Amino acid sequence: MLETVLKAFLILLYATFVGFMFMGIIRIVTARIHRRVGPPIYQPILDTIKLLSKKSNITHGLIYDFGIIYALGATILALMFIPLGSISILRAYGDLILITFLLEIPMLGIMFAAMSSGNPWAGLGAQRALLTLLAIQVPLGFAIVALAEFYGTFSTYQIVMAQQSMGWSITHLPLLLAAIAYDIVLQAMFGKEPFDIMIAPGEISLGPMVEFGGKHMGILQIQHAIALFAETLFFSNIFLGGAVITAFASPILNTIASLAVLLIKQIAVLMIAIFIGAIFPRFTIDQAARFYWKWPTIIAATGAILAAL
Amino acid sequence: MVDWRLFEPLFEFARKRSLWIVAFCTGCGGIEMPPLMTSRYDLERFGMMPNPAPRMADLFLITGYVTPKTLKRIIITYEMQPDPKYVMAHGSCPLNGGIYWDAYNAIKHLDKYIPVDVYIAGCMPRPEAVMDGIKKIMEMIENGTADGWKRYKENYEYYKKNQDELFGEGWREKEARKWIPWLMDKRREE
Ligand code: SF4
Repeated sequence: MLETVLKAFLILLYATFVGFMFMGIIRIVTARIHRRVGPPIYQPILDTIKLLSKKSNITHGLIYDFGIIYALGATILALMFIPLGSISILRAYGDLILITFLLEIPMLGIMFAAMSSGNPWAGLGAQRALLTLLAIQVPLGFAIVALAEFYGTFSTYQIVMAQQSMGWSITHLPLLLAAIAYDIVLQAMFGKEPFDIMIAPGEISLGPMVEFGGKHMGILQIQHAIALFAETLFFSNIFLGGAVITAFASPILNTIASLAVLLIKQIAVLMIAIFIGAIFPRFTIDQAARFYWKWPTIIAATGAILAAL
Repeated sequence: MVDWRLFEPLFEFARKRSLWIVAFCTGCGGIEMPPLMTSRYDLERFGMMPNPAPRMADLFLITGYVTPKTLKRIIITYEMQPDPKYVMAHGSCPLNGGIYWDAYNAIKHLDKYIPVDVYIAGCMPRPEAVMDGIKKIMEMIENGTADGWKRYKENYEYYKKNQDELFGEGWREKEARKWIPWLMDKRREE
């Protein structure tokens, strides 16, 4: 019991730290693409400390506070279900549908909080975010179906194990198509450029985030860090083979090696998202909905059909 | 309870290194803001970020002359920001009216209405000058002399008196109600 709690705490700590580093990497790489120097890599940590140390704070009622905590809690729960190398808490129950569902819950929490603030920009941003959420469901669903069809199981851990013998998912054509569709969806889940319609800095002031200041925004930063970690981890687990390393004799070395392998895969996923995000301008919301229901859906549906054949 | 004063140096360091600017471009200075953020004088090196939302911002850049109409928005935006907040005024206009010293609708001393921490002189200061001002404000945050937000709380009567003298009592309500009669007229016309 105590050991599990300790393990959960360590996973959380690791995920938060790496997530903050990912946020720093996003800012640095974007800056380098623009030929800028960019902030130091630990900048998001400083931002969070600053936001949490604000001396005054505003709140718009109970739901406003609760929505933020709800978003953070849902992200942490999602993280616990995803197998992280050989260590994980709830991997026996971590099936694909549950994790994809849990990764979208935080957006709902932020929506709750934003809506209850009564700011018209927040309301507008919430509507756009909900439409994006609706639009990405279709390709996401087909990608999940393709995976489940191919491996005959919904369990993420078993999919990781199956990839150890059969090769990575993306080496099989039907799953490669699913991975492409999922990667396009990931862009919206990260809130990166072509589909950052729900945040839309500059266009609708900051969308749902516009009323969050001080501690609320600090908690949201932590949530964003963990969500980045969890989403990249989930992608590298189901499509890039995860990591189960048994090359060394000692289990600690094995764990460290598998964490390192996972980290490299996660950064690869992140880099693709950054490169796409840095060179594409934003879609309008109707274009995004139409795009998601067209190309990624076609690709993912083809993948699902090929997997079923 | 944890004694947070122990962590105060860390907080001061974080505040200094992650100033988020509320992008409120008044006057000519609006044109000098983008070069600061883009690749030549990249301010993101110091962790600064332009931010469209006043709730998250720390640093308020007043980039030029301020008309009474803008000043109302500036005061409201300033009051919206959470507490350790700093104000930096660009150019001669917020300092003493600049070339608009005899204009009926430009504010002569911004400091009478909201507390300013750092002034940068110049009729459009160069980006280097702005960066110098930013360095100055970082030093001031570190040794605790950037206390505009404290002054605004302590001397609120003074600032409020000046604001009311300029706009008249109850200007916030009047400003909010200003468009209602117009909207009603519009509806009646339809
Ligand atoms: S100081 Fe000069 S550049 Fe700045 S707002 Fe005034 S007139 Fe314009």
